[in-house]
Amino acid sequence: MLGLGVDRLQADINRLLASLFHQGVLDEQFLQLQQLQDETSPNFVYDVINIYFDESEKLLRNLRLLLMDREFSDYKKIGLHLNQLVGSSSSIGARRVRNVCVAFRSASELSNRPGCLRGLEVVEHEYHYLKNMMHELFQLEQQRILAAGVRYPM
Amino acid sequence: MTVEQNFEALDQFPVGMRVLAVDDDQTCLKILETLLRHCQYHVTTTNQAQKALELLRENKNKFDLVISDVDMPDMDGFKLLELVGLEMDLPVIMLSAHSDPKYVMKGVTHGACDYLLKPVRIEELKNIWQHVVRSRFDKNRGSNNGDKRDGSGNEGVGNSDQNNGRANNRKRKDQYNEDDDEEKDDNDDSSAQKKQRVVWTVELHKKFVAAVNQLGYEKAMPKKILDLMNVEKLTRENVASHLQKFRLYLKRISGVANQQAIMANPDLHFLQMSSSLNGLDGFHHRPIPVGSGQFHGGAPAMRSFPPNGILGRLNTPSGIGVHNLSSPPAGMFLQNQTDLGKFHHVSSLPLNHSDGGNILQGLPLPSEFDQLQTNNNNNNIRNMNNNKSIAGTSMAFPSFSTQQNSIIGAPNNNLVVLEGHPQASPPSFPGHQINKRLEHWSNAVSLSTLPPPPAQNSNSIHHHFDVSPLPHSKPDTLEWNNVSSSYSIPFCDSATTLSPPALDTSTTNPRAFCRNTDFDSNTNAQPGGFYDTLQTRQSGNYGPTTDAMLSSNPKEGFVVGQHKLQSGGFMSAEAGSLDDIVNSTMKQEQSQGDLSGGDLGYGGFSSLRTCI
Repeated sequence: MLGLGVDRLQADINRLLASLFHQGVLDEQFLQLQQLQDETSPNFVYDVINIYFDESEKLLRNLRLLLMDREFSDYKKIGLHLNQLVGSSSSIGARRVRNVCVAFRSASELSNRPGCLRGLEVVEHEYHYLKNMMHELFQLEQQRILAAGVRYPM
Repeated sequence: MTVEQNFEALDQFPVGMRVLAVDDDQTCLKILETLLRHCQYHVTTTNQAQKALELLRENKNKFDLVISDVDMPDMDGFKLLELVGLEMDLPVIMLSAHSDPKYVMKGVTHGACDYLLKPVRIEELKNIWQHVVRSRFDKNRGSNNGDKRDGSGNEGVGNSDQNNGRANNRKRKDQYNEDDDEEKDDNDDSSAQKKQRVVWTVELHKKFVAAVNQLGYEKAMPKKILDLMNVEKLTRENVASHLQKFRLYLKRISGVANQQAIMANPDLHFLQMSSSLNGLDGFHHRPIPVGSGQFHGGAPAMRSFPPNGILGRLNTPSGIGVHNLSSPPAGMFLQNQTDLGKFHHVSSLPLNHSDGGNILQGLPLPSEFDQLQTNNNNNNIRNMNNNKSIAGTSMAFPSFSTQQNSIIGAPNNNLVVLEGHPQASPPSFPGHQINKRLEHWSNAVSLSTLPPPPAQNSNSIHHHFDVSPLPHSKPDTLEWNNVSSSYSIPFCDSATTLSPPALDTSTTNPRAFCRNTDFDSNTNAQPGGFYDTLQTRQSGNYGPTTDAMLSSNPKEGFVVGQHKLQSGGFMSAEAGSLDDIVNSTMKQEQSQGDLSGGDLGYGGFSSLRTCI
């Protein structure tokens, strides 16, 4: 029973990951993150992704505030925020998020307000999608660990 | 980290390399930290540039490398880069999500040693230790005094420097090309000479010799010599190494020529030889990398030589001539054309001014030389007459040497002295036509029975034609002289066939010339060939005669070539050709005898020159 559960869960995880890779939501950088996870940093992926979510949400909130402002004119600041988003997204392998951020950045460089607004929406959309997928992945992972036995630290 | 820890850690460099990672983005910082740990580096992280500066200032020896993001809220990454570079002189790698070339350029101009794009891959991080090594290596290079590699505590690095120095040395060996090897050789010679190469000009050498004479050759000690010489900025190590070379040189020529004679004109000859000695520790088997910095070295050295035919100059540039002096000297020194003017200097060098009257004496060339020397200063002629081929009495060079001098002088420039590695040139010299000298020469080189030559191609422009032991004798060192003389010889021989007037003069002593070429049985082919080509090119009339001449005398070819080179008219015209010839010969050698004949010479030359 346990074994089956583990296997099924593992299969679900694999399927999800494969799908995400296929959609381009994730890229090989994510694999590298997984490879970095070992005994010395057992929850590495989980930790990093969570940090990413925290940081990114702050950035997105700031971006929205900036753009919503009627007298907004500080495209440079938007650019800086976006830079960070691009960097962190690419570092964890969130390719789609990164790509839309780059597009958003281009609009901001052109001081294109409507373009920026559009860009922001796209980024937010992609970001939330990724976040949901990641949550699901982690849930499956946790269940699998549980199913695999108490060997693993919770 | 304690010093001991540093020591140990550094011993396993790059394992344990201490990296400071700075990035305001927590995600990236965490990933970076983990990546670096996986590379077995010791990582310290901070997300604030100010904190990073504090950490760095706290202990300058605490870190080996800094990796910093470019866009940071509290301080611009470039600013941090500048400060770190100025204050701590540590290698800094920039990180950015932005691949804008302007950023990259900014990184470079601010002194970053690398610029990485996010996402950073572990493969990239695995190699960042090279920047630490490079920076330490450069620091070592920068310091002129003593041998820092021995860990004489560089600034800021202390023990780690020693360890890294070792690592540096190891890596240097692997990573760097022969230029570095050269430097290492120099280093072996004398640490003092490592960075600041002391150029032993004729005057300097004269002083040196005078001091040695005064003290007595047997009793001459570097310290005393140094005191007697009373030259600023000359260190005992310089003198010691020079003395060592001098002694070797004397030993070499002692059998051949009148040592006194040599002593009389030690500067030129010795200098000539010494060039080969430079970095070579005597004449051994080391092909003189013509293309290498040697030439470059030589060029400046040559320039510094007074215009009285300092052959030595030719040599010094990179021990061109003298390398491989152990065996038949490669009389050919490849010189930059610009230095040809010095050529006459060179000629004087090999030829013993003294009455030693060796080789040169026999040659009736002087007259020819006079003719040849239309452009040369009288020194050449004088040299000619005076120079007894140091190479040695045994050789029939005497006339050649004188000729050589004149020849050398004549061109006034662009004396291309090819340093053949004797080994390179096979004894097949004879039978080469003059006009095909180069060809032959290069052929000789490539064909040379001597093992090294082909391999040496890469190293030296010259094929080892001067490496092979001179059959006749010593004159190896003098080879140059011989070469030059032989240079003239073939000239003579070929003169008949060669149209250039200068050559004609040489015809009077065809034999004599030929002899010279002979200075290196093995290398015969080389030197002669080389010059032959040169000559033929010049005269444009290389024909069978030259070949015959060559065949008769391995050196002939060489001499001929030289002769050509030297004859004023010849040389000046051919200055470039010499290089070409040399180059071509070099090429030839590499292509294993794929010589195209006379043209080779010229072509080779130019290439040679570029090689230099």
